[in-house]
Amino acid sequence: MNAGRFTLTVDEFLAEKNVLFYLEDAVNQLLQHKEEYIQFGIVRYFAEYFRSVKSGSHILFREFDYVKATAHNRASFIHIFWRCFRQIGKNGDLLATMEYSSLLQLLCPDFPVEMVQKAARIVLMEDAMDCPMCFADFLYAFQIQFYFEEFLDSIAVIYQDLLSGKSPNTVIVPTSTSLEMHPQLATDDIAAQDGVDSSLFCSCIEALCERYKHEHPAKYAIKEILQHSKCMSFYGFLMALAKHEGISHNIGSLPKKGDLLFDPLMDQELEKLISQLTISPASNSSSSGPGQKEPLRKASPRKSLQHRKRIEIESDGSTEETDSSEN
Amino acid sequence: MAKTEQAKCTHHASELTSKEESLPLVTKTAMAEKRRSGGSGILSDSKPAKPETDTEFLSQAGIGVLLRGALLKLVEARSEDPIGFLADHFGNLASESENGASGCGDGDQGNSTEEHQQMTRALWHLRLAHHSQRSAFNNNVRIAYELLVQTRERRRMGGGVRGKIYAELLRCLCCELEVPESTAAPLLCRIQCHDHEAVPFELFRQGVLTCAVFSDYVRKSQSLYAAVCPCPETPAERALCQAVLGALGDALDTSHCADSAHYLEASAKIAPCKLAEAMAMAHNPGDTQTGPTMEPQEFEEAAAALFIARVRLMS
Repeated sequence: MNAGRFTLTVDEFLAEKNVLFYLEDAVNQLLQHKEEYIQFGIVRYFAEYFRSVKSGSHILFREFDYVKATAHNRASFIHIFWRCFRQIGKNGDLLATMEYSSLLQLLCPDFPVEMVQKAARIVLMEDAMDCPMCFADFLYAFQIQFYFEEFLDSIAVIYQDLLSGKSPNTVIVPTSTSLEMHPQLATDDIAAQDGVDSSLFCSCIEALCERYKHEHPAKYAIKEILQHSKCMSFYGFLMALAKHEGISHNIGSLPKKGDLLFDPLMDQELEKLISQLTISPASNSSSSGPGQKEPLRKASPRKSLQHRKRIEIESDGSTEETDSSEN
Repeated sequence: MAKTEQAKCTHHASELTSKEESLPLVTKTAMAEKRRSGGSGILSDSKPAKPETDTEFLSQAGIGVLLRGALLKLVEARSEDPIGFLADHFGNLASESENGASGCGDGDQGNSTEEHQQMTRALWHLRLAHHSQRSAFNNNVRIAYELLVQTRERRRMGGGVRGKIYAELLRCLCCELEVPESTAAPLLCRIQCHDHEAVPFELFRQGVLTCAVFSDYVRKSQSLYAAVCPCPETPAERALCQAVLGALGDALDTSHCADSAHYLEASAKIAPCKLAEAMAMAHNPGDTQTGPTMEPQEFEEAAAALFIARVRLMS
């Protein structure tokens, strides 16, 4: 049992899980929708608010600033994105960057395209940016990019400094303003080079971790990745981070890659729907407007079930395809 | 300590509410529309004047007091999962007020559901902090006690928690702490009170603490058995189990020493090398797994009996 919390000061204890941030947001939301929540019951409203924060559904349809505000919010968003769209993975569809961007914007209307592009760059190692990607590859890259955004930006600066031969000790953690000064950093310059010395890169990143407290991938994972090669390129490193099972496990949003598309409950639900469809097509067609829409929409899962085997093979193939661009 | 924490919480809560003064009213028009559509009919019954600004609204609705109370409780309990704590806390408050509004005329049935709810809440408080965090634990025990007394006071009877409720609470607590029922039964039998008795706070605290420590002890004894048992499918050798139980009993039997020396002596007696020694003496290398065995259940109960025999009853 973690007993450290008893030795923290009040402020530290409250800050650890962002209690005041959520309380403040709860009050803000309450003020924006006073009338509704008064009828619902204010205490009940607070209870529901915190219940949804705990379950992770609180970030649905919220503004981007809120979604990325805490580590818990980011993890919840990644989890929900996976839950909502894993049928895409099952169908084996390959989607392009802009299509993933549209999917993300269904959950968070002002989700920035840049974030999606950065994630796509990890998968595609920057060449052929309009190339379609399989769901799993994109998902794990997106997870790393979104969850550790600030950390990765700092690594980009370090990498750039190492390439240009600057002393790593003078590396400064970029603030939002200094980031804007290096917008092209993540794009052209970095990939053009072959890489930097792994051990030097590793020690710089370790020093960076000290400054980031908890918001960085586990150090052992970083070491593991950098031990394997003498020379490491920026996107090679990010790709390895994205594929590292330990890091994904620590974030806790996604299952292992093998279980990503495994969802017996949803399958059951779909089977049920399909059997309903085949038993009573007449009753469905005679129902009113929204009822007519339903069977149309459910038709695609049916196809996916019948062609599950073939699709899985396809999906595997696509993974290899996108993987191969790594080399 | 408590005072400074309270001051800080008050400060946080007022910060939260005062920040809203400067908030731009983005949805003012939307709200005005809602007002026109007559959605506030219910509101006008309970609130005499319509609040104009956000600050007025917050103070009228008592949000500051509500949040201050929640933060105080949270800091007091130091829950491992603050967000879950707040969800439960507000949930408890809401169901309490909802029941208070609707459950008045229910008579006996209302009382029993209320009793059940207080029990649930008392258990919730007791589970918040581990007993090794003694001051937080004691605090939560006190809150639980107050909750259970309140139920009773409404029935106009003397001070203290009723023995029946006390026994039920301990039973549920053991159950929630995942002590098997059969293992917990002898302990509960030993520390229970008569149904009509009034349980004073100190006895209540000792009882709850005993159950909490007991659950840890049972878990340790389970891992002890796992250590003796070579593979999980087959039961452990009886002679080995008895040797370990003997060493355990020895370690517990150190009450003649002064307090701190007693801990040292006990831990020396149960040290791995001592256990290994005892097991080596009991184990006959000649025969291979043919001797009598002991089921985990029996081991657990025997270990529990060692504990229960040392529970002193308060007079």
